[in-house]
Amino acid sequence: MAKISNMKAINLACFDEFARDDKVIVIGEAVGQKGGAWGYFTGLMAKFGANRMLDMPIAEPAFCAFACGTTLAGYRPIVEFMFADFVTIGLENIMNMAAKQRYNSGGVNSCPIVYLLPQGGGASGSQHSQSVEAWMSNMPGIKIVAPTFPGDMKKYLQASIRDDDPVVFIFQRAIFGLQEEVPDNLPVPGSLLNASRVVKEGTDVTIVAYQRALINSIQAAKELEEEGISVEIIDPIVLRPLDTAKMFASVKKTGRCLIVHEAPKIGGFGMQISALIAENCLGDLAKPIVRLGGKEQPIAFGKACDLYMFPKVEEIKAEIRALVR
Amino acid sequence: MNLSNEQLLEIYEYINYARCMGERLEYFIKTGKILGAIHLPKGQEGLQAGLIMTLMDARKNGIKIYTNPHTRDQALMSKLIGLQPYADEMLCKTSGINGGTSGEYHMTCVEKGFLPAQGVLGPVWGQNAGFAWALKDQGKTDSVVWGIYGDGASSRGDAWEAMNIAALFKVPMVFVVVNNGWAMANPVEKEAPVQDLSLRAQGSGMRGITVDGNDPIAVFEAMVEANKLAMSGEPNLVEFKVTRWGGHFLGDNQEVYRDTSFLKHLDDIDPVLNYHKKLLAMGLVKEEDLKRVHDEQDAIILKVYEEGMNKPAPTVDEICDPNKVYGGAY
Repeated sequence: MAKISNMKAINLACFDEFARDDKVIVIGEAVGQKGGAWGYFTGLMAKFGANRMLDMPIAEPAFCAFACGTTLAGYRPIVEFMFADFVTIGLENIMNMAAKQRYNSGGVNSCPIVYLLPQGGGASGSQHSQSVEAWMSNMPGIKIVAPTFPGDMKKYLQASIRDDDPVVFIFQRAIFGLQEEVPDNLPVPGSLLNASRVVKEGTDVTIVAYQRALINSIQAAKELEEEGISVEIIDPIVLRPLDTAKMFASVKKTGRCLIVHEAPKIGGFGMQISALIAENCLGDLAKPIVRLGGKEQPIAFGKACDLYMFPKVEEIKAEIRALVR
Repeated sequence: MNLSNEQLLEIYEYINYARCMGERLEYFIKTGKILGAIHLPKGQEGLQAGLIMTLMDARKNGIKIYTNPHTRDQALMSKLIGLQPYADEMLCKTSGINGGTSGEYHMTCVEKGFLPAQGVLGPVWGQNAGFAWALKDQGKTDSVVWGIYGDGASSRGDAWEAMNIAALFKVPMVFVVVNNGWAMANPVEKEAPVQDLSLRAQGSGMRGITVDGNDPIAVFEAMVEANKLAMSGEPNLVEFKVTRWGGHFLGDNQEVYRDTSFLKHLDDIDPVLNYHKKLLAMGLVKEEDLKRVHDEQDAIILKVYEEGMNKPAPTVDEICDPNKVYGGAY
């Protein structure tokens, strides 16, 4: 058991999977000597060799296509994007190539690629702070994993690397340093199914949230306990395939639901969660579903970014109070 | 390179095969047996014959070729994976190489050397460079990857990026640019401010050459050499200049954007006829052999397509099989 950060969790997951399967490789910019833009590949090249850490020119379209090419020979590439916002540059070869690789071969060709996408607010402005999970979600063939806590980060990154399909693995820069105790031999889930978990139990309101919005929701719930409001919080962890059982059970219990994420509400992934809850639990709802998201505008640079752009603890508390009123 | 009489006659068969593939395809589209915007190979048979000859010669010499031909490469595609699985796929039958749901643009069978073809052409070079890297990483020195582009796709950013990466990693890959002068309805003069697209290889420090794609012997010789170079760690580019006779796809009215007066003098530029004349002058074939070989090849193709037509199409359950979308539990 050791206390590790999200950053360390990614590093340890890579070490474990590199040792387990010599077909696991990393493709990206400055991933070798430097260990990637954020450093989570630190030490991998020294231990496993330069052949498995493919430093690429700044050419996301070609290195995303390159990754697909390696899977045809049995490799399992981890493709790193410096910022999730840059996924647009490689998107063609994720959406048009990787997502279709299995179907176009009549089910024969696997495409086990993990795309690492550090996303979200962090005072970096309009082109380095966006949340991209919804952009990726309207695409059969793709799986989406979005963990928040170091333990989930480690085991679900390992599960994603072992998965035979392209997995968009999204995590938030603002909580890179978030720490928790993680057992040394954390079991790796056999699939990405049934991934969601109840982070906090409660009886009055259900919150579904992930990443920093989840951290803020937990804080809000804690503070509201003093006001006598009991909040239950669900972390989906995997957005596609989305595990709905726990969130449906929770909503049936509380009759009230708040969904929180940093991406803007319009077209955000909360729309999908909200729709599923409405389709399946409408009769159990005492109040309409409420969603909180980022501002409907480009993200401002600097401190304004985090102060005004994303759902804050106070805003979450206000919505919960309104729901139970 | 001195080709034997047997080799020259082998090419004679392939060039007629390529012509017949195009003619039969046109016939089946016009009679409603094959659907889709299909790109006909007419005028590019010399290139097809040269590439097929290189493929067959490589097989004899224990060299494995991986590539993903598309659109006007029907002859090469069928030689790579077998005519029946090719035709059945074109006819959307379960017995097609990919179960009848991939069609002309998306065929693949890695085992047989057919890397996934992409309906969006630009990314193919990057994908193939990745596969070539994997071959090199696994020490497979008897293999080479071709990436076949048109002149249009070679204007994409992907082309530059892939050449750059291939050269950096010294992968066993030959970049093939089929320059037929037209990117859909855009003439090559409006795509590239250079005479030869092979110049573009220089930006990645690679060798690039331009070859007459109408001459199957020149194509064969250039590709054999290009393979050798690539397998020795020098990826390189070969541009083949050919003429597209028809529109971009069958049904495209090229009259509105192209001076088609050359169509009145096709005998002068017909690669099949010119190759026939060459062998005639060498005394290797007789005048009547052209029709004979053409009809033989046509009969083979027709028989396969007719067999394919009687085979079952995929059921709804086969078309919408979730196991073809995701591999693991979903």
